[in-house]
Amino acid sequence: MSIKVRTVERKGRTFLEQLYLVEVIKGMTVTLGHFFRNLLDNSRLYVRHYPEVEPEITARWRGRHRLTRHEDGSVKCVACFMCQTNCPSNCIMIEAGERHDGRSEKMPTRFDIDLLECIYCGYCVEACPMDAIRMDTGIYSVTSYSRDSMVLGLEELLETPGAFDEEEYKKGGG
Amino acid sequence: MSALDILLVILRIAFGAFVPLSFVAILVWMERRGAAFFQDRAGPNRCNVLGFRAGGLIQNAADGIKLAFKEDVIPGHIKHKFYFVLAPMLVFITALLCFAVIPFADVLILGDKHYIMQAVPMDIGILWFLAVVGFGVYGIILAGWSSHNKYGVLGGLRAAAQVISYEIPMGLALVSLLAVYGTVNLSEMAQFQGRLLFGFIPMWGFVLQPLGVIIFIVAAFAETNRTPFDLAEGESEIVAGYHVEYSSMKFALFFMGEYVAMFVSSALIVTLYFGSYQIPWFNTETLVTYARPVVIAIMLGLPVIGYFFGEWMKRNNRSHYYRENDPRQKETTVYIALLWSLVAILEIVLLIYLVFAHGGVADRILVALLQIGTFLFKTFLMCFVYVWVRWTLPRFRYDQLQKIGWEKLLPLALLNIFITSAIIVSFG
Repeated sequence: MSIKVRTVERKGRTFLEQLYLVEVIKGMTVTLGHFFRNLLDNSRLYVRHYPEVEPEITARWRGRHRLTRHEDGSVKCVACFMCQTNCPSNCIMIEAGERHDGRSEKMPTRFDIDLLECIYCGYCVEACPMDAIRMDTGIYSVTSYSRDSMVLGLEELLETPGAFDEEEYKKGGG
Repeated sequence: MSALDILLVILRIAFGAFVPLSFVAILVWMERRGAAFFQDRAGPNRCNVLGFRAGGLIQNAADGIKLAFKEDVIPGHIKHKFYFVLAPMLVFITALLCFAVIPFADVLILGDKHYIMQAVPMDIGILWFLAVVGFGVYGIILAGWSSHNKYGVLGGLRAAAQVISYEIPMGLALVSLLAVYGTVNLSEMAQFQGRLLFGFIPMWGFVLQPLGVIIFIVAAFAETNRTPFDLAEGESEIVAGYHVEYSSMKFALFFMGEYVAMFVSSALIVTLYFGSYQIPWFNTETLVTYARPVVIAIMLGLPVIGYFFGEWMKRNNRSHYYRENDPRQKETTVYIALLWSLVAILEIVLLIYLVFAHGGVADRILVALLQIGTFLFKTFLMCFVYVWVRWTLPRFRYDQLQKIGWEKLLPLALLNIFITSAIIVSFG
């Protein structure tokens, strides 16, 4: 049994390389090529002109949260506290109330997510037995001028639509 | 002193003081946009006044305003406030003073009077530069020491050690150059470079001193604390070095001082090695003699340059994504109108010169203006080399820096002196 030994060739030991100047000039030619390529036609820059041109978000992206509904419009969430228990950053705050539409016994009367605490790990989505909480809104830029507005309430979470169709979301492993 | 004398004194001093200052804005812009283009990024291109971005130059104004209005903090632990405040001034003023002896055009002959086109017409030239540029490092050491901060002291020490070690190869490279030119006066050096070697090669310093120019440029990079020798402010290991405790305009002075130093050392490299204000093959007398054909050539060339520049602007100054009524295209239209009116004004001025004023004094002034333009253009290119090197080469380690200075550059500079003096003694 022989171990395959590959000798890595040592670079930078020849006289020309030790002279340094030649290599400096080589490097400078490379960068100058980039400079003129971009100077002559700046549409070739490898940049996305961000606020105007937004990146494409895939269905697997964990964006801002939302709460889903059944087809008849009733809230899927049954206030089982799975997500709140599982949340590593303690950003979910649920208060349960009685449910009268016959789907189950409980439903949330309050469902707050503090986006300043949230680390977007997606454990709440994984923990949810009802597929009630999802992070598929495609909202990746979560900013605000005040701390209060960074806490999402039940209404806001229910109102936010999903950005992807069911098929695509399932393909993403949801 | 006649009125003309006073006017020329004012003009020359204004040139010496304000050109480096206005170049600071251009250099900061060049550094940021240049860096971006070297790295395939766009650089600052959003900041605007009424939609006019001037290619990103407005960003400088915004940065300047920001720095001017920031709180000027002098940390409580600093005991020597006087030195703390003095340091950025020293850095800035010494950088600015160096430019005083650099000639930006040939001696202007108006009637029977000769005007040396330097801010301070002195004979000591290069000695003044060496004296003042060496003084600049005091500012850095003082800043580092008076900051009473470990990073600051380390940065100051590094800068001091570096400048002292690189002043020796720089001085020695200059020795052989002085042997070639036979003078320390920068104006005379510039005139020397107007001659031709073997009748067809411009006798510029880098042709006569190919080894000297490399040594001098490397040493000049080290003197200005620019990459690859900017370990005085190595962000990764000593945060920002000597200016770590500075804020607001005091920091801005360091920042501007760095760019003024870069401009001045570019100007010096151009003066010593790249023909100063000389246009290759056209020395002052030739230009004066053939002033009219030169002017006609310029008049023909201007619209061509204007056309290509305008086309370049149209291609590049637009939004690279869909936008209704692209405001950048409107901006370009205005720029192109400005460009062509500038070309038209220049053409008219040159035409007036051709018809009414050619010969005598007007020729001299025209040639001086041409030479100022050439000088500034060359200096601009040299500054670009500074930016280019900065965004290509990584920073040296401290021991590597000292090794290059003492073990490579110093023997090379000595060798250069021997070769140069042997050639001078045997041939001329």
